[in-house]
Amino acid sequence: MSNGEMGARNTRHAEQAADLLVTVASSLNERLAVTAGELARSQDLLREASDELMTAFRGAADRIVAAQRQGAAELREENAEYVVVLDHLYRAVQHLQSHDLVNQLIDAQKLRVDKMREKLVQALALAGTPITEPDEPEKWIERSRAMLDCIIAGIAQIDEEPAATGGDGKHAGSVDLF
Amino acid sequence: MKTVLAVDDSATMREMVAFVLESAGYRVLEAEDGAKGLERARATPVDLVITDQNMPNMDGITLVRSLRELREYKAIPILLLTTESSDTMKSQGRAAGATGWLVKPFDPATLLEVVRKVLR
Repeated sequence: MSNGEMGARNTRHAEQAADLLVTVASSLNERLAVTAGELARSQDLLREASDELMTAFRGAADRIVAAQRQGAAELREENAEYVVVLDHLYRAVQHLQSHDLVNQLIDAQKLRVDKMREKLVQALALAGTPITEPDEPEKWIERSRAMLDCIIAGIAQIDEEPAATGGDGKHAGSVDLF
Repeated sequence: MKTVLAVDDSATMREMVAFVLESAGYRVLEAEDGAKGLERARATPVDLVITDQNMPNMDGITLVRSLRELREYKAIPILLLTTESSDTMKSQGRAAGATGWLVKPFDPATLLEVVRKVLR
């Protein structure tokens, strides 16, 4: 095989490798777009439900606090209904906190996906710029490296973004007094 | 009436803490991050601070450390109420001067029990 043929073959391989990266980046970006959309939809539904629950909660909570200010000691002693309502509200407090924590988790996941997509879009933009010397395999390799850097940076976003909630849920409700 | 400062970047969480404490007769002040919490605590003396750990501008442990540097907060109880539950974080909180560590989501009865205990 002549040097010219060898060079042409190397260029073709380098170009194919670059094309493969474009396929990987665009396919990953499309899937992440679907995930981002589903996360946004879940968040909207959860927020809507949380807002409704909070409105209902406030309606009862405000009355309990107002009653407390008017002399709760007597209320507790004399009104069993007050104690029952308070108990129900305390239970709601625990579940409303969980809603809030899930909202924060979805926020964090959405941020990660968005940041990863930003890097993939950067990689795809590199693929769109024309190669100055398309017969040189090194030029294609340079482009592939730059694209890979973007893709790797996108994957790294998963670790770089801080978690919204650091807990694992196993210790929820635990107390340590020092 | 004892005054409690609740510091959390989540409005829902502040509202939950405020409701539980107000329903038990406490007065509650609120702040949305550590920096605002410090400002609020300086402006109005409080009997207890309950703070989240992960917040913008200033985290909970830094708030504890900053409050402990103030003469009027040397002996005031400060509780961390957070989703963080690692021993490392708890040790950092303890070293900074926190009185206790509660993991979210909290049980209202437990919170009230702890608050009564540290305010005794």
